[in-house]
Amino acid sequence: MKGGISKNLAFRCLTGLSSASVLVVVAAMLATLAWESFPALRHFGVLRFLSSSDWNYSTGTFGALRPLAGTFLSTALALSVAVPVALGMAVFLTELCPHRLRAAIAAALELLAAIPSIIYGMWGLFVLAPFLEAHFQPLVSGTLGQLPVAGPFFRARLAGGVNLFTASMILAVMIVPFISSIAREAMSQVPAMLRESSYGLGATRWETIRWVVIPFSKMALAGGVILAMGRALGETMAVAYVIGNRHAALDSIFSPYVTITSVMANEFNEAGGLQLSALFSLALILFLANFMALSLAKRLLGGRR
Amino acid sequence: MSGLAARKAWNLAAMALASLCALAGLLLLATILRDVLAEGLGSLRLRLFTQDPAPPNMAGAGGLRSAFLGQGLLTLAASAMGVPIGVLGGTYLAEYGRDSRICRLISTLSDMAVSIPSIVIGTFAYAILVKPMGGFNGWAGAVALAIIILPIIVRTTEEMMTMVPWALREAAFALGAPYCKVITSIVWRSAMSGIFTGILLAMARVAGETAPLLFTSFNSNFFRLDMSQAVPSLTVSIYQYAASPYEGWVGLAWAAAFVVTVLVLMLNILGRVVIRLRKRG
Amino acid sequence: MGDHLLVNGLDFFYGQTHALRAVTLPIRRNRITSLIGPSGCGKTTLLRCFNRMHDLYPNNRYRGEILMDGRDILGPAVDVIGLRNSMGMVFQKPTPFPMSVFDNVAYGLRLKRVRNAGVLRERVEKALRQAAVWDEVKDRLGQNAQGLSGGQQQRLVIARTLAVDPQVILFDESTSALDPISSKKIEELMTELKKEVTIIAVTHNMQQAARISDFTALMYLGSLVEYDETATIFTKPRNKLTEEYVTGRFG
Repeated sequence: MKGGISKNLAFRCLTGLSSASVLVVVAAMLATLAWESFPALRHFGVLRFLSSSDWNYSTGTFGALRPLAGTFLSTALALSVAVPVALGMAVFLTELCPHRLRAAIAAALELLAAIPSIIYGMWGLFVLAPFLEAHFQPLVSGTLGQLPVAGPFFRARLAGGVNLFTASMILAVMIVPFISSIAREAMSQVPAMLRESSYGLGATRWETIRWVVIPFSKMALAGGVILAMGRALGETMAVAYVIGNRHAALDSIFSPYVTITSVMANEFNEAGGLQLSALFSLALILFLANFMALSLAKRLLGGRR
Repeated sequence: MSGLAARKAWNLAAMALASLCALAGLLLLATILRDVLAEGLGSLRLRLFTQDPAPPNMAGAGGLRSAFLGQGLLTLAASAMGVPIGVLGGTYLAEYGRDSRICRLISTLSDMAVSIPSIVIGTFAYAILVKPMGGFNGWAGAVALAIIILPIIVRTTEEMMTMVPWALREAAFALGAPYCKVITSIVWRSAMSGIFTGILLAMARVAGETAPLLFTSFNSNFFRLDMSQAVPSLTVSIYQYAASPYEGWVGLAWAAAFVVTVLVLMLNILGRVVIRLRKRG
Repeated sequence: MGDHLLVNGLDFFYGQTHALRAVTLPIRRNRITSLIGPSGCGKTTLLRCFNRMHDLYPNNRYRGEILMDGRDILGPAVDVIGLRNSMGMVFQKPTPFPMSVFDNVAYGLRLKRVRNAGVLRERVEKALRQAAVWDEVKDRLGQNAQGLSGGQQQRLVIARTLAVDPQVILFDESTSALDPISSKKIEELMTELKKEVTIIAVTHNMQQAARISDFTALMYLGSLVEYDETATIFTKPRNKLTEEYVTGRFG
């Protein structure tokens, strides 16, 4: 009997320590990132580090503004393209698609969401970038690019198709299956009776979706979008190939630029001293931004995810 | 009644738009898959698995044998660390921690840790294992991967074990089994296929990870299974070869991309099949 | 008064399943007709034929006709949206939409492009008064409808249906999820409403059918067993099956 009790205790301790390891790892990660970023943040000052666009190895000055702007812009651009498409897909899947195909397409979407980002990145480099350069950039340059004030911002200046726009599009392609999977799940939670009530009042499909299905699932939809945002913020491999990693003022959406992750992927191995510490600061910022996005998404999604 | 006609027109337009979105999205994703499969299959040679990388001027030679072995080694080491700790940790959360606040915190934290950008995990492993040891090494890569696996396994284990009905445990208690025995012989067994699926999905995730390996295990052209040195991996090889100007290397990258994609998809499908079999059985 | 609707030789199929068999049944104008029968007998299936709810799902087939004022409403040329507008439906459970009390009632009106704020307010109030829920919600029109009690929600749903001036209202076991007091209110409301509309009510509650309906139809295995005035069905049924069912010996 005594043996049983001590075995119980040992098992409990073993499992308890294992579960505490998650806490330890996350806390250690936060502490390490903070510790490693300290030199740069002290040297430049937090505010100056965040607001400076200077990233120069020879002078040894490093500011986070451009990578931050690049991450923000590419994520925003990707979401603005991916969200409508993914919602359209979810509407199609829950409301229009023949029942027999639904499960198959939903499963295919989940599989596509699991494909590693390096594959998306490689495809972006070899297929999407040349395609956009040949077919899409001339179109935009010829139309939006001729606008009086904003025009130059839509004109391609450098050849290669490696730029902020291409990076945003490959991000968009990556998160579409992700968002539409979550949106499909959220929209299929709407009780049939609620839909039927709307149809019973003579609503069309679109009216039912617009006024009943979307309002009913809006929290989960918003949660899904934020989750996707977190993904886009921290995505490295899909972006690293096609953003160009160029530390220069952004003069056009078709110009190479930097993101937090592209800077890290390209410079971490060769960095030392203040530059390395600045890179750790970027990692810390990314970690915190991602955590905030996730906790918000979790709250919106309720206990479901 | 023109109101009704307008409403129907709107409906038609909106539904057409949604279908168009779905069609465009699916077509695009199908294109990616087709490109990867076609390019990869076109570059696939037996020597991919049997030879080590050759210099770019040697046309028609060279493979990624060391990268395959390295990838296997890294995954094995990461699983050896992440899977047992994850399963045990998830067990505690499901069995002892149902009403404890700290356990709920750990559970929430694990949920969020699943989505920590993997490159950030790479920087962490660099700071604690590469810097002190003075160079890139396999252990750092394996630890980074293990940190990715851990929260996934913790959460799936917890979820799967919570789903096991309490009555089953009571039945075992009634036979005089101590709690740890009840867990290991009854609850684990009932939740086994679910936990196994979690492990498979975690493997699938890790098999495609590149960012956390870039500055931990790095890459190496040599055939060496020494974890204290840089260890080659498929994904980092893809990253470096695809960006190279040599056609032969780009071909290797496509072939490796094909293998990684197929592997990840197979692991995912297998995971889903396992869970479905259990639901039926 | 006469027949408002006439179900004429109606068969209905869910894929291969033959769910309704040659049902012929008149529905009198401004009367309450109850559909009763053991579960699975097809009464709800029949109810959902009237507003063609079955059209929402694949592989459903109708054969035969339902005439509304002499016009077949199952035909392919029928405007289903217009049909549903004139044929309100109240479900087993309250189905408030995730919006305010006011917007719930205004939903159908807004679909019909009623935009004038004054008109909307007037029609919403009228519908809520008709549904005997106005006094309870008049101070919380802007609040989310999902905060109301179950009984209030169900009357709100009835008000939402009434706001678009239906000719017929279909009740699908609409009191089954409510407490006895709320059920009684809904029953009184139905009796009041039949002055304006024709009511078809599916119920599993025999006493309720006896209390509120003018006519009762008993269904069994997808067929109509007996249809008559409610008093006749409950006191001197012609069919042995009916007698057994209404006396509680089977079902």
